[in-house]
Amino acid sequence: MSLIELNKVKKSYQQGKIEVPALRGIDLTVEQGEFTIIFGPSGCGKTTLLNMLGCLDTPTEGEICLNGRKISDLSKKDLAMTRRYNIGFIFQNYNLIPVLTAYENVEFALRLIEDSSEKQIKEKVLKMLEEVGLKGLETRRPNELSGGEQQRVAIARALIKEPKIVLADEPTANLDSKTGIEVIKIMVKMNQELGTTSIFSTHDPQIMKYAKRLINLKDGMISTDERRGRGV
Amino acid sequence: MFSIKLGFKNLTRRKRRNIITALVIAFAFFAYLFLYSVMNGMEEMSFENIKNLETGDIQITYPEYWEKREELSLENLIYLDQDVDESLENIDGLSGISPELRFSANLNNGIDELPVMGLGIDPEHYKEVFTTQKYLVAGSMFSLDEYKAVIGEKLAQLMDLKIDDYITLLVRTKDDTFNTIDVEIAGLLHTPHPMVNTGTVFVPLDIAQQALNVGNSVSLIAVKVKPGYEENITETLNQNFRRKDLNLRAYSWRESAETVIALATAKKGGISAILSIVLLIGIVGIVNNVILSALERTEEIGMMKALGMREMEIVLVFVVEATGIGVIGGLAGCLLGAAGVGWLVKYGFDLTYFYGDMSMSQFGIPILNKLYGVWNFSTFGFLFILGVTVALLSSIAPALWAARKDPVKAIYHR
Repeated sequence: MSLIELNKVKKSYQQGKIEVPALRGIDLTVEQGEFTIIFGPSGCGKTTLLNMLGCLDTPTEGEICLNGRKISDLSKKDLAMTRRYNIGFIFQNYNLIPVLTAYENVEFALRLIEDSSEKQIKEKVLKMLEEVGLKGLETRRPNELSGGEQQRVAIARALIKEPKIVLADEPTANLDSKTGIEVIKIMVKMNQELGTTSIFSTHDPQIMKYAKRLINLKDGMISTDERRGRGV
Repeated sequence: MFSIKLGFKNLTRRKRRNIITALVIAFAFFAYLFLYSVMNGMEEMSFENIKNLETGDIQITYPEYWEKREELSLENLIYLDQDVDESLENIDGLSGISPELRFSANLNNGIDELPVMGLGIDPEHYKEVFTTQKYLVAGSMFSLDEYKAVIGEKLAQLMDLKIDDYITLLVRTKDDTFNTIDVEIAGLLHTPHPMVNTGTVFVPLDIAQQALNVGNSVSLIAVKVKPGYEENITETLNQNFRRKDLNLRAYSWRESAETVIALATAKKGGISAILSIVLLIGIVGIVNNVILSALERTEEIGMMKALGMREMEIVLVFVVEATGIGVIGGLAGCLLGAAGVGWLVKYGFDLTYFYGDMSMSQFGIPILNKLYGVWNFSTFGFLFILGVTVALLSSIAPALWAARKDPVKAIYHR
């Protein structure tokens, strides 16, 4: 059984009286531990596909199975719980909480799933922040961090709960190319160390070389699906 | 719970807006506490002035006289005989009785004439029931059998009179003939009761009885009782009168103070209206704050949902923040209220600022010059708890609205 299975998934949005198709029938399976990059021009449906995979949205037609469970059968509460325990998100705009420090932003995600002791949580959060290269910056608030540092906090927040899947929607779009590559390298490292399934969307050709699997999306359909062994 | 921690942390965001909302709540609390204190002070002072300067705690008279007491008639007077005396003897809690003869008179200073209420009193008994004599600002109280009078300072100014001047009271006797009472002014009063100051002439009871040709009769008997005895003594007196086959009745001071009691009843309605406005201000402030916060944090709400936070956990974040603003505003309001009420209790405010030489008696409130507030600590507690509860409850609906946002639209709302 694959970790993710998409079967003839279609999604369309209503814009006034016009129905705009975003996905036109996607068949896709993703295995545990894959490092997949979805690329394609703007409006090709990358974000829509990631939202479906992340249980934030449901298909208009077709079905999505996560770990063998059809997500269309899940209630809103179950979808929230699925996201809480199984999925980590990384956003283009980082979406950190400005009143919380780097430490607290990561702690926040962990507190949602764990009721461990204060000491254990602290150890775990500090270790994760160290892994993403933020040692010494724990007490800084987002406005005291650079874009790259903020995105590292977002990565730490996504990975701290050891999710089955990490979804990142153009995570390097707001970063310069050097910082973008650093961030991707961290994610590759975490993918290798933790075995987390990672699915990214991007425009950036520099980043695509790190993928084990490259999916090209065009007009809401998969035009190519290339597996590259271990990636770069 | 991290939601609670986040809610508290969010209080430090948009500090200016949160402070303004809290200040609006604080001002509304302050206004309510201040007005509540003013209204209670007005009520308490009015009641005290009525009891201490006008009616005593209980008034005894014939029901027929009571019905037409405003007319100051000389009909249906009480003849002070042994039965009446015995009815008033040995009553536990009774601390003073004062017979009074009330009559209409025209005060004449030789040039001008003014209608007044003449009040025949026995000064020795009168001071057992009333505090009027404490407010003598010039001269002294007369004794029985002296052809002297005491009038209000204000009335004296109006009639251009001073101590030792002679005045004439033109009266109509019981037999409907005219008579005069010529008396020398022995003392001037300045009491907190405007009607005593401007419309009453005190004369010795025996002089008044003689001039009005009423024998040993009086209009009513004012009674002073120890605190808490009023109801029992009223009942005992009425039983005594029935036993003696007297048609007299004892009336509580409340029955004389209908206007003020009516104002006190209206006050309760007024206070409820003010409280509703205060709460409405709080609700509008809080709802506005939560909606603005939710609109500003749409992406953040989307992120929270993406992280797997349940709707109720997101609601809790906003509710804690709103309740925090309610608590801060409530505490600030109570502190401001305490300062305002403290000032009002200690220094009072001068009604002449608002009404000039006019007195509150024109509005049926027997208070002169200064109005003092009263403390009511339970109101502070009640208002604080009510305010915080309302802040909490009023934030739930907008918080739910925020938490129910579609996560995809929220994340990408830009």
